[in-house]
Amino acid sequence: MGDILGLVAKRLGLGLVILFIISIIIFFMVELLPGDIAEAVLGQGATEENLKALREQMGLNDPAIIRYLGWLKGAVVFDFGRSIVTQEPVISVIGERFVNTLFLATYAAVIAVPIAITLGVIVALLRNTIFDRVVNVLTLTSISSPEFFLGYILILYFSVKWSMFPAIASLSDGMSFWELLERTFLPALTLVLVVVAHMMRMTRAAIINLLASPYIEMARLKGTPPWKVIVKHALPNAWAPIINVVALNLAYLITGVVLVEVVFVYPGIGQALVDAVSKRDFPVVQACCLIFAATFILLNLAADVGAILTNPRLRHPK
Amino acid sequence: MTIFVIGYYALLLAASCAAAYFNKRAAFMLLFSLTLVSFVVGIIGGAGALYAIAVAAGILAMMAMVSYAFREFLILLAGKETAKELRTAPLTAAFGMFIIFTYVIAGIFAPWIAPHGEAEVISSAFAPADANMLLGADQLGRDMFSRLVYGTRNSVGLSLTATIGAFVLGAGAGLLAATKGGWFDQLMGRLADVIMSIPSLIFALLMLSIFGPSMPVIIVAVAIIYAPRVFRLTRAVAGNVVVMDYIEAAKLRGEGTGYLIRREILPNSTAPLIAEFGLEFCFVFLLVAGLSFLGLGIQPPTADWGSMVRENATLISFGEITPLIPAAAIALLTVAVNFVVDWMLHRSSGLKE
Repeated sequence: MGDILGLVAKRLGLGLVILFIISIIIFFMVELLPGDIAEAVLGQGATEENLKALREQMGLNDPAIIRYLGWLKGAVVFDFGRSIVTQEPVISVIGERFVNTLFLATYAAVIAVPIAITLGVIVALLRNTIFDRVVNVLTLTSISSPEFFLGYILILYFSVKWSMFPAIASLSDGMSFWELLERTFLPALTLVLVVVAHMMRMTRAAIINLLASPYIEMARLKGTPPWKVIVKHALPNAWAPIINVVALNLAYLITGVVLVEVVFVYPGIGQALVDAVSKRDFPVVQACCLIFAATFILLNLAADVGAILTNPRLRHPK
Repeated sequence: MTIFVIGYYALLLAASCAAAYFNKRAAFMLLFSLTLVSFVVGIIGGAGALYAIAVAAGILAMMAMVSYAFREFLILLAGKETAKELRTAPLTAAFGMFIIFTYVIAGIFAPWIAPHGEAEVISSAFAPADANMLLGADQLGRDMFSRLVYGTRNSVGLSLTATIGAFVLGAGAGLLAATKGGWFDQLMGRLADVIMSIPSLIFALLMLSIFGPSMPVIIVAVAIIYAPRVFRLTRAVAGNVVVMDYIEAAKLRGEGTGYLIRREILPNSTAPLIAEFGLEFCFVFLLVAGLSFLGLGIQPPTADWGSMVRENATLISFGEITPLIPAAAIALLTVAVNFVVDWMLHRSSGLKE
């Protein structure tokens, strides 16, 4: 057990190092601005006094490295400074929205994961039949469609033509849980459609890869019934790739959520990021990017750790 | 029970019986399951739903026929070797090639195909379709169809340039890393790790917020974001080639790195790289479409599919499908490229089945 903990700790450390490098990239890319933030915010018509005042207020007169350390110190305790546009603390702008985004992603994941894995295994077992081909074409189409295409199709049919679900996922306080689920059903469904397709294809590939290995053939040749081949021989080894697939797709969900939030006007962090980018509100952009990157790295880390835990071969690297 | 419903079931049943009689199991399964599905759908949705299924089946059949004819056409045109390869292409791949061909024609000859200019205001906002405007007008009264045709040029052209940029960066670094090895290889590998651990859309948004949305910025940003994937693949493929005896022989002959890459490694790793190019193009295309949907891509008045969807999105709430057409154009091209890549991967690598 000790070596597993060591490996996991090593991965965690690596993740932290990458996150640190990313925080450097995110912070210093803003430094690459022609001029500086104050000029970018105030535009061409800014007077010298205004620029000076803003520089003073944002602490731009300190060297970049000191400002970076200050920013990083704040970021560790989720204090990302103040928004340039609204002057509110960044965390109060995006804190609640981040919870909303997590809710949407979880909602989609809870629906998508069981469906995708079951269907993926079924498709792998029925490979090379007409059913498999049809599913292949369907999933490929779903992957290839931009999220906003799927989203608007769902709006057109489910809310405009059949008026079953609301087109705009506005949230308000004091909504019951069921009401919340109903309001956010269409954005969640859009995410589900994309993610299920991805996950099914990956699960199918993983299972087919597994079924091609010699020990499965051996089991078949000695006359084991097909269901037993799957449950006793294939499944224990299939967990590793499946856990990997799930974690990778959850990471995808976190970023795919940006476009979906904009389509459905959902008050999540993705929408906050897009707004901040078009208003050039750099503290908010930096905070959102850091949060997205951290979540992404965390889920990739989970994929790695899951793979190590379920696949003993990975515990003894060459 | 109208004549349509009776005819519908009669045709389906007759076709499935014929398939069963001639021992076409796959066709029988498809037709008969369609019959069963139709029973359920027909009971729930009535004749309207059956009509929709019939239309969809008709469109599918048309597409299959077009793909078949286009494949035969290509086989006739191509040389002997290529024709042999083309015969193995499934209908989906032929369909993909047909769509790509259509887009290329539309992109190159856009000014001659489009009836109006790309930024030309010719009627009132959201005017419905008429003989002059095939798809109606957009939010400023510009012809939707013309903008769609011009959009082929702008959207696809931008993505293609960005993909080529990513390939030049990624494949160049990958080939160098494979031949040189050592610290350069290590450095590039770690750099790729870092870039890939930032979600692509987020990274693109970060760069666009800093440098402002303009064509060169988008191209460079997207090229940097997607170069690491190309780097990894090239590094892996070229890494397998570098250990071959003929490379050793070339090195002993005293050939330089440039010669090794151009004459020895590159010709032996083209097949996977071409398939990768198709895949990368799909990713890049979707990313660029997403960016321009968010209003951060190609700036108006240049026609571009992503922003066309966004600008006309209000029409959706009136039950119009016009805003969906540019989105469908994006999806169609990505699907088409994916179909072709699927076939190429299957052929070159022999994926396990």
